[in-house]
Amino acid sequence: MLQPPLEPARFWRLSAAGAASFLAIWTLAAVSGITSRDFLPTPWDVVERFGQLLTTPFAGYVLHQHLLSSLQRFAMGFVLAVCVGIPLGLLMAWFPWVDRIVSPAFETVRFIAPIAWVPFAALWFGTGIGGPVLIIFMGAFPPVLINTYRGAKQVDRKYIEASQMLGASAWRSMTEVLLPAAVPSIVAGLRISAGLGWQSLVGAELIVASSGVGYLMVKGQAAISTATVMCGMAAIGFIGLLIDVALRRAQMVIERRRGL
Amino acid sequence: MATAPLSRSLLAHAARAVGALFVVLVLWHLLTAVFGIISPARFATPAEVGLALRQITVEGYSNGRLYEHVARSVLLVTMGFTVAASIGVLLGLAMGASRKVEAFVNPIFLVLRPIPPLAWIPLAIVWLGLGDAAKMMVIFFAAFVPSVINSYTGVRQIDKPIFEAAAMLDIRGWRYWREVLIPGALPSIFTGLRLSLQASWTTLVAAELVGAVAGLGTILNQAAQDIYPAMILVGMLSVALCGWLMTLGLGWIERRVMPWKAL
Amino acid sequence: MANIVFENVQRVFKQNGREFVALKDINLEVQDREFVAIVGPSGCGKTTCMRMAAGLEHPTGGQVSVDREVVTQPGPDRAVVFQAFALFPWKSVWDNIEFGLHSLGVDAPERKRRIEQYIALMGLGGYEHAFPHQLSGGMQQRVAIARAYVLDPKVLLMDEPFGALDAQTRVVMQEELVRLARQHPRTVLFITHAVEEAVYLADRIVVMTTRPGTVREIIDVKSIRESENWDQHKRIEDVMDLPSFVHLRTHVWKLLRDQQGADVH
Repeated sequence: MLQPPLEPARFWRLSAAGAASFLAIWTLAAVSGITSRDFLPTPWDVVERFGQLLTTPFAGYVLHQHLLSSLQRFAMGFVLAVCVGIPLGLLMAWFPWVDRIVSPAFETVRFIAPIAWVPFAALWFGTGIGGPVLIIFMGAFPPVLINTYRGAKQVDRKYIEASQMLGASAWRSMTEVLLPAAVPSIVAGLRISAGLGWQSLVGAELIVASSGVGYLMVKGQAAISTATVMCGMAAIGFIGLLIDVALRRAQMVIERRRGL
Repeated sequence: MATAPLSRSLLAHAARAVGALFVVLVLWHLLTAVFGIISPARFATPAEVGLALRQITVEGYSNGRLYEHVARSVLLVTMGFTVAASIGVLLGLAMGASRKVEAFVNPIFLVLRPIPPLAWIPLAIVWLGLGDAAKMMVIFFAAFVPSVINSYTGVRQIDKPIFEAAAMLDIRGWRYWREVLIPGALPSIFTGLRLSLQASWTTLVAAELVGAVAGLGTILNQAAQDIYPAMILVGMLSVALCGWLMTLGLGWIERRVMPWKAL
Repeated sequence: MANIVFENVQRVFKQNGREFVALKDINLEVQDREFVAIVGPSGCGKTTCMRMAAGLEHPTGGQVSVDREVVTQPGPDRAVVFQAFALFPWKSVWDNIEFGLHSLGVDAPERKRRIEQYIALMGLGGYEHAFPHQLSGGMQQRVAIARAYVLDPKVLLMDEPFGALDAQTRVVMQEELVRLARQHPRTVLFITHAVEEAVYLADRIVVMTTRPGTVREIIDVKSIRESENWDQHKRIEDVMDLPSFVHLRTHVWKLLRDQQGADVH
């Protein structure tokens, strides 16, 4: 039988036990002396390192400066993906000939993992910001395009007929009918897109960057400072979570406004 | 009579795809080789790509021939994916079926989940060096999370009446798992497997790009260093093709395992 | 205002490689400012007739003209009121009504004037900024009717507009539509399967058969309505009580029923 939910108190107690067990095993392994503390730090070592990174520069900058650098690249790539993806998706949904031209090209390129663009990114942009932005774009673009296209294509026929009857031009049909109708789908796509974009950013920064959280981790790895690497991972995970939560709230607000 | 239109439409579709491919190739050739709008330093002509493909297939590039790279990459992905997916699916099912397990494991999972798979690469390299072991570790974490999540939701979204029917028929223990939980969660499990496979593949290529001896990612790495755009393209297309084929393979398995599902 | 002319209209569908005659030899004229209702059993093609006049579908033979111009595509000169309302959920009542006026190139002050006029007329005062999902079915259909009327179209096409409403709301809407139609006469083609609704609202009723859809009989209601002075009764139930109404309704029923028996499903 599908079990009923545990009462909150019980749930939290078990969760705390789980967390505690995990931390305990980890700390034990770290202090046992099997390896150096640099190689396997205790949880507390990591927290300490995090504090250090916020005040003392590592790999050129302080932690929040690295984060800002990463966020800037992410924002550029993401915004670019949205600015290209949404209009293109709408155009493809409204004009079959656009669909016929773009779809095959898109389907082929889509299967190339964003990270595989790194060599070209390096070749075309060197160490400039264009490189990471390209890779983020390649990660963030497909979900935006696909969700916009599907959302617009699945608009209830009756709205299309109403807009035709009311004499709307192609532009008005796309902006005042297709786009609003596709908003729930688009917003869902944006969440996926942001997640993929953020992931692609990490990958890009491991290779073609000279600042940013990914770069921080690479430098930490070179210095065999696991604590630094873990701080980077924590920061990346945390920011990624924030972005997703923010978009999820936006999604809820939009759905409520629409009476969905 | 009913099959004739089907094969005709498939044929038409194939013809259109080939036609589109042809148009792309011609345009590509014109833009690069003939008019030079896209400079050869930055991109490659179709002819150059053909040559690069020949080179890597026959003579080898970046420590191996194409099939050797493919075999190596596919092997690593398959191994890592299988291990991660097996553990992940079981854990996910357990979390779905037992609230206690869910409560206990939850915090660890909450911490692991937001970490993008690629972010495990530096840690893996610190702990395991630049060899295959590190790749496996990264693939593990990449494939593990989606498997757990989707198996978990797979169990959770099983219709309540099915559980009630199982209770009425007094199904428990091993039979409960085999005949109620797993089949019910199977569609979701396969979604998770598909995501895990894609994540595994992407992560492997990235890991190989960062540092490896052989594998598809190393082709990309080496070609970037050698400033050899044609070979970069060969690498990218190989990655895409392999990823696509593996996804197809998974789909084939999915259809075999779940004949009742209208895909 | 304008007329609608169906000249020898045929509509053939292809399904699974077989041909299926939906409409055959439809010849019909809706005169200027006339309210014509098409009644028929489900699937007889009455909605298809309306959609062809709207330009949302096309005949396979013959042609449909509005104001002596052959219909090729939809437009605001042939306003449609849909059964499912088809109001844009993301636009307010005001914006929904205004939407078509932009296409007509009406300038802002005139738009405002017209919209306010119809909001008052359709009893939508106070709801200008509400969204469709906040309104009842009846209110939504009022907005849809306002949206159609505000275009000052040549013809008005209504596809079972009250079909999605509950019985009480339906009655209220019928009374209002009659009031509107008598005060501001327009060329209307009204589709319904509810016989009483057709008799109450229309000047003429077109009774259709099914399989294939053809015009069985065209009944003149207006002359009876005027000679028996139905309009003196404000309430629909009083009108429906009148012997002349009942007689007409029964006549239409019989015409419809005759073909039900011959129907092979």
